[in-house]
Amino acid sequence: MIGQGSIVRAENLRKIYRRGAEDVVAVDNVSFEVAPGEFLAIVGPSGAGKSTLLQLIGVMDNPTSGKMSIAGSEVSGLSDAARTRLRRETIGFVFQHFGLLPTLTVAENIGLPLLLSRERSRDRVEFLLERVGLAHRRNHRPAELSGGEMQRVAIARALVNQPRFLLADEPTGNLDSVNSAAILRLFQELRQDGLTIIAVTHNEEFARSADRRLTLRDGKVVS
Amino acid sequence: MLALAWKNLIRRPLRTLLTVTGLAVALALLVSIISFGEGYQRGLRRELDAMGMQMMLVPLGCPYDAAARVLKGRSLDSSLPESALDAARSDPDVALAAPIFAATMPRPAEGRTDLWVGVDETAQRMRPWWKLTAGSSFFQGEDSVLLGSEAAATELRKPGDRFYSPETGRSFRVCGVLERSGTSDDSQFFVPLATAQAMFKQPGRLTGIAIRLKDPARLKDASDRLQQVKGAQVVTVTEMIGVFLNLVGAARALIMAIAVITITISALSVFNTIMAGALERGREIGILRAIGFSRTDIFRLVAVESLALSLLGGALGTILAVIAGGMVESLARSYLPLASEVNLPPLTLSAVMQCLLLVLIVGLTAGCYPAYHASRQSPAQALRGD
Ligand SMILES: Nc1ncnc2c1ncn2[C@@H]1O[C@H](COP(=O)(O)OP(=O)(O)OP(=O)(O)O)[C@@H](O)[C@H]1O
Ligand SMILES: [Mg+2]
Repeated sequence: MIGQGSIVRAENLRKIYRRGAEDVVAVDNVSFEVAPGEFLAIVGPSGAGKSTLLQLIGVMDNPTSGKMSIAGSEVSGLSDAARTRLRRETIGFVFQHFGLLPTLTVAENIGLPLLLSRERSRDRVEFLLERVGLAHRRNHRPAELSGGEMQRVAIARALVNQPRFLLADEPTGNLDSVNSAAILRLFQELRQDGLTIIAVTHNEEFARSADRRLTLRDGKVVS
Repeated sequence: MLALAWKNLIRRPLRTLLTVTGLAVALALLVSIISFGEGYQRGLRRELDAMGMQMMLVPLGCPYDAAARVLKGRSLDSSLPESALDAARSDPDVALAAPIFAATMPRPAEGRTDLWVGVDETAQRMRPWWKLTAGSSFFQGEDSVLLGSEAAATELRKPGDRFYSPETGRSFRVCGVLERSGTSDDSQFFVPLATAQAMFKQPGRLTGIAIRLKDPARLKDASDRLQQVKGAQVVTVTEMIGVFLNLVGAARALIMAIAVITITISALSVFNTIMAGALERGREIGILRAIGFSRTDIFRLVAVESLALSLLGGALGTILAVIAGGMVESLARSYLPLASEVNLPPLTLSAVMQCLLLVLIVGLTAGCYPAYHASRQSPAQALRGD
């Protein structure tokens, strides 16, 4: 039986993309759950549907069928506005391409989600700058940073609203092994602090350090 | 949000600059035209109101051209017989009939043309703004000349001086100098009517008669009667104003059309700039959506960009208009009847307000579709590779 305390719970999730005449079943009947504090790695070959599944977990998209609940409440079928609020308040996103705004400084990028809330927490940005070890870079632009540093900025930004869980799509996909190792270490530290993490990865070392792995193939969970 | 929009704009400084400049030029043009039109119209009315005249008697021919020339103090090819003045003065409704004989005197050596105007003592009553400088008086004899302030300055004459006109071989005594009034009177030479007629060898002829009625309400009757005067026709002040405005209006309509076209082009250019910016940042917008920016937030972001761009154009356009305003004014003065008698303000507040409103509309309409398009961007875009 699926526990009530799970942060993410998916039941028979299915996502079908309509591409011209043919339908692509990107996610096919996927069920799983993630407990609080768990570090889950989603692995599988290219085109297996990992990113699509992450979009569903991240309430960026509605599933074609099936149920998704986050922190105990059902999210499939929510309005765009409600999904946006959910993303803002409960989920931290980390992308393969970092997704920083090139025009903003490190500190401004980290504080970006705070633009939308009344409270202007300077302290929170400062705290996170220290946390990811980039306090000395706060006024630099992304173009002046290494890939590893950019990803640390992105992680700090993902954490600024104190999300319930972190969602990462190949966070080390654009990094060399040294920087990958540093990001992995940061994830492990966050996991130690009690953060729930769901990450899609091709990096074997990364997957091995997770509590559990979910392997997808052709949209289906194979293990 | 504004800072974010601004940073997006200066990301492509050249594109932004070009768009802003285009809009600014178009607006400067429009502001100038509207301001000029308003100032000209207001000035014209004030001037004619001050004269307290309701109509003019001019020679047969194109009445409006004649009226314009007389008012501007230019000479006329045709003229009125002096008997028209008697007819006007004997009309029961006429309070004051002021004869004018105006003639130009080319001064090739000095590179200018002087305006000599023959008037009688009614001139002073018809022009309440005339003020004599210290030591001045009105005509004291046949050889008196009353100088406008600019005319006195160019001729270096003060009241009491002698003044010789080589072209006519006549010698005058400066009886007075007028204080600066900002009207075309400033540059004219006023002499007794008979003297002017003799100087230009047109004894007994007039270029026009300005008429003030006892009761302006009797305009219709009086003009019907005066229309019967032989060789003369009546032009009412209302007609004159209408014609001058039409004259200005035709030129204005043309420039206005150009301005409207330029503004439309600028609006398209604003649209293009904002749309290109929104398309370029597709994934960036997806990321903003993913991390919690709502559709409304994205719409606002892009719309603010468009507004900021347009307002920037508006501000620059206003500055340009102030600079260019002086040039437009001097250009217009040399081409328009009566313009020189009107103090044209380079910019009117209402013109600036109208144009800023227009800029807001341009910014909103040009930004609307790009903003909508951007707000439809799916947050899932953030996860896709490039
Ligand atoms: N927006 C879309 N429209 C149509 N088909 C799509 C769309 N997004 C993904 N797909 C298809 O769905 C399937 C799963 O894609 P997805 O991106 O989820 O795979 P993935 O496991 O993340 O692959 P990769 O490891 O290469 O990132 C693929 O066949 C892909 O072509
Ligand atoms: Mg993927």
